[in-house]
Amino acid sequence: MATVKINGKEITIDDGTLILDAAKTAGFDIPTMCFHARLSKLASCRVCLVEIVGQKKLQPSCVTPVMHGMEVLTESPVVKSARSSMIELLLANHPLDCPVCDKGGECELQDITFKFGPRQSPFGDNKRRFNEEDYILSPVIVQNANRCIQCKRCVRICAETVGVGVLGSIERGAKTGETSFVREYLDCDHCGNCIEVCPVGSLMSRSYRYKSRPWDLKGVDTVCVYCGTGCQLTVQARKDEVVRVISKPEEGINNETLCARGRYGYSFINSIDRLLVPMVRMGNTLEPTTWEDAVRAVRNGLSEAINKGKKIGGIASSRLSNEELYLFQKLMRGVLKTNNIDSGSRWDTAAVKTYAEIMELSKGGLSIYDALNTDTLLILGFGISDENPVTDYIIRRISGNKKMNIIMASPRGMKLDNSAVLSIRHNPGTEGVIIGGILKLIYDKNINSLKNLGGKDYLKDLSKEKVSDITKTAWQDIEAASGYIMASNTITVAVGSDVLRVPSRIEFLRMLIEALRILGKDVKLFPLFDRSNQRGALEMGVHPDILPGYNFIDGDGLGADGIIDAASRGEVGALYLAGEDILSDFPDGVFAREALRQTKFLVVQDILPTETTEFADVILPGSSHAEKDGTFTNGERRIQLVRKAIEPLGGKADWETICLVAKALGIKNMEYSSPSEIWDELAGLAPMFAGVNHKKLEPDGIQWPCPDIDHPGTAIMYTEKFNRPNGKALFNFREHIASAEVPDDKYPLILSTGRRRQHYNNGSMTRRSNAIFNQWPEESLELNPFDARRFNIKDSEKVLASSRRGEMEVKVHVTDRVQPGITFLAFHNRDALTNLLTNDALDPVCKIPEYKSCAIKIEKLNGHK
Amino acid sequence: MNELSTDNHKNSSSLSIKDLLKKVFFIDLIQGLFITFNYTFTKTITERYPDDEKWIPYKRFRGLHTLNRNKEGKELCVGCELCQKSCPTQCITVIPMEDKTGKGIADRIAYRWEINLLRCMFCGLCEDACPTEALKLGREYELASFSMQRQIRSKEELIKPQPIPVEFEGGVIVRATLEKGDKEIKVKPDLSVQKRWW
Ligand code: SF4
Ligand code: SF4
Ligand code: SF4
Ligand code: SF4
Ligand code: SF4
Ligand code: FES
Repeated sequence: MATVKINGKEITIDDGTLILDAAKTAGFDIPTMCFHARLSKLASCRVCLVEIVGQKKLQPSCVTPVMHGMEVLTESPVVKSARSSMIELLLANHPLDCPVCDKGGECELQDITFKFGPRQSPFGDNKRRFNEEDYILSPVIVQNANRCIQCKRCVRICAETVGVGVLGSIERGAKTGETSFVREYLDCDHCGNCIEVCPVGSLMSRSYRYKSRPWDLKGVDTVCVYCGTGCQLTVQARKDEVVRVISKPEEGINNETLCARGRYGYSFINSIDRLLVPMVRMGNTLEPTTWEDAVRAVRNGLSEAINKGKKIGGIASSRLSNEELYLFQKLMRGVLKTNNIDSGSRWDTAAVKTYAEIMELSKGGLSIYDALNTDTLLILGFGISDENPVTDYIIRRISGNKKMNIIMASPRGMKLDNSAVLSIRHNPGTEGVIIGGILKLIYDKNINSLKNLGGKDYLKDLSKEKVSDITKTAWQDIEAASGYIMASNTITVAVGSDVLRVPSRIEFLRMLIEALRILGKDVKLFPLFDRSNQRGALEMGVHPDILPGYNFIDGDGLGADGIIDAASRGEVGALYLAGEDILSDFPDGVFAREALRQTKFLVVQDILPTETTEFADVILPGSSHAEKDGTFTNGERRIQLVRKAIEPLGGKADWETICLVAKALGIKNMEYSSPSEIWDELAGLAPMFAGVNHKKLEPDGIQWPCPDIDHPGTAIMYTEKFNRPNGKALFNFREHIASAEVPDDKYPLILSTGRRRQHYNNGSMTRRSNAIFNQWPEESLELNPFDARRFNIKDSEKVLASSRRGEMEVKVHVTDRVQPGITFLAFHNRDALTNLLTNDALDPVCKIPEYKSCAIKIEKLNGHK
Repeated sequence: MNELSTDNHKNSSSLSIKDLLKKVFFIDLIQGLFITFNYTFTKTITERYPDDEKWIPYKRFRGLHTLNRNKEGKELCVGCELCQKSCPTQCITVIPMEDKTGKGIADRIAYRWEINLLRCMFCGLCEDACPTEALKLGREYELASFSMQRQIRSKEELIKPQPIPVEFEGGVIVRATLEKGDKEIKVKPDLSVQKRWW
């Protein structure tokens, strides 16, 4: 502790605190310009100078720590005049075109000049000019370098947090060149974090360009709808149009950073093709109708299915709020008396349950910062840099400041590899075997201590050769991984939802966790989700085998794959899809299309027209997250408020629609005045939410369990050991089954599918955001340079890609993000119809279609046609 | 004060011979008519408005807003919204947009610039706030109209030069003609025929 005097006020504060922070604690604000709390220190602007009694030179308070007995003056005449001169220097070359500049009204330079600055400038020389006109730097950034004050915040955030480092500048002092792209814009993540931290109007958002002034905007703090990280953000609207999304420095786990989707993926809200009126099928066409008629049609369709004794199914998207998901499951289970309910249609339903058990979701979990307080972080089964970009930023930022071994295992390279000590590349769908290999090594070395390890028999026939053969990974990598793990005391295992697509041998994960715990290691589990409310969907019971609050049952319900399967046999009388675009999501599009055709009655509740809505018998307009109140639960079980920014464009929020349907079916107890009332009902059902209500969730959300109203929520929990005693864990082991389609001479390449950082699932939302879509206007097939040479194909060339089931023309992007022999295509683009190419062979054990891979060949177009 | 009023009271209480004669011969009336008679031979100070004369105010007058262009004909307004912000009655709406065609002095121009005259009190604060001198309160003062809608004036109209050029000194009466449109009545001045009134 150090006792210092600031402007005569004595305070005692931790050693090493910056004078800047100490002064703030004492109640004195020191202006800063280049300083940014979460970036490395630069101290170049000198706006923050303070006087330390006894020292001749003024010191920058943003880098100088306090020392015991120090006496600091922040408002002395010397400081004031120095500060004003520093601002004068910043303004010397600054164009002062505030009326035109988009930053006007929220510019830090304006603010400090107004508060502390000189009222006039003695500089009469011409100002330095880099450019006469603003220019477009990247699809999301427009720059006016003349306004740059060389604070390098953008450079630092891009390199240190985002991890791409495409910004920079040359020369020094007054000669400093413009701070701008030093690398190609294709390397840019288009995340816009540089724009957010730029204190002046040098880097500006293209989508917000000349739209408004900050004082015209009305904002609501809400949660991002795109992934399980659950970033907090502020949606700002001018009148009824959402014009931008910003983030706040001090709120949410994301601390001001956002990714491209979160920041720019809002245009779909006011998209012109939003579904705004209910529609009912009349013969071959869908006709607009009133809400009353549409709801009546839904009632008739559902009742008919019940009367005929046909199956009814419901699939809700995990971007609906907790309240809506809860209502949806109440409608399905309570009213329609069926357990055929699922969230999303991409995963094996049974695997989700196993995953929930292995990752101990029902017991809570850790906050991300806690999970990163570890020696080794193993990330598996998740393209984290693409799926959860902000989690990637957080990991990068934290690992930059401390020693932490990051081990990445994924089929495709990604940004975070740069921060990893070890990157394991493996064949798509072989995550379980990689874990098996690591486990095998650990087991062999500790046979005695692990003699009670459950399921150890499965390790017997897992030889080094077999692992390498299945995964196509060098054995040394697996050895290295087990080495790092064994050398650590704390190990965080972050597992993403990719393992749910091809879940064979996911049980090895359970064994590995148990083995490490037996060996006395502290194992932290961190689940990674790709959808904003995936965890919420499980917690609300939108799963055939899980009731709200993680009450596992062994029900007879069908999951999404089961429902589609039954539908294809004509057994499904009615299917209710809430926000789910099954044709884009379901691994095998041809099969799903046939299934929808066989479905007697299809209700689709969605915000945008998709392929699936074309098959609907009734379309109910949905509401986007900006049009309703509710809550999302992120991957670290933080329940956060989603707030209404504008009125529902279709007239009704999703929860109101579900209630209407229930009411039409004659149900009395499903009328609510607000989502907060729905929450209170469900909180009463699940003890872990009992103390949570909407009011309490401000501003940062609450991590359950929160058993009563005075409880603050639980940030860290989960000190207990493995819940099943040694050797008694329930096993549901599935052998690894080689991909039904192995590459052969005719189809020599493996096609894997996934998503890109800028898009979300089927892309129906992100593609409507021009800022984002411009970045990937055309889907391209990633091909390793080695294969490109082998097939004599150049970058950007169009080729014909074909599988045993279909073919398509596609542009090639040559990159070493994919391994030789493997190609990658994202499933965001409707034109690309990737899923025509994927494999409809259901995994014989778990029935999940092989989503991740199938065999293809590529041919040059000119030779072909 | 009190003393004075009591004096007056005393005087008026007794009617003198002089006053009586004054009353009999209508002296006050004659005096008044004499003044009136005199004025018939001086310059006229009334205006035949709106039929054929109109008063053109001085430059400092604060009438209907006008949006100006610079000498090259480029729009001066950059859509900065400062006028909107400064207006105490919040009657201005500005929505900016990007324009690279060189229409304005910068690549930012007003996409919409609208004023609700029903709320405007012609204080001129918006003019003071305008950094580019695009906005001036002009010399149009005939604002009555047949519909409320007409009280909302937008950029398209305001950017057209007002009938009285900015350079015109004002402070004169000029010849004018009364024009009845379907939306409003206007008195159209003919600046070439003017007469000073003093
Ligand atoms: S948008 Fe993101 S990746 Fe691109 S330059 Fe800015 S901070 Fe870097
Ligand atoms: S562009 Fe902005 S953030 Fe980057 S150095 Fe210049 S002023 Fe700083
Ligand atoms: S990381 Fe996820 S939650 Fe955060 S802004 Fe991006 S998509 Fe949204
Ligand atoms: S004159 Fe005054 S009241 Fe009228 S628009 Fe300007 S600022 Fe507003
Ligand atoms: S009139 Fe002047 S103050 Fe108003 S928006 Fe235009 S430039 Fe800005
Ligand atoms: S803020 Fe301290 S030197 Fe820039």
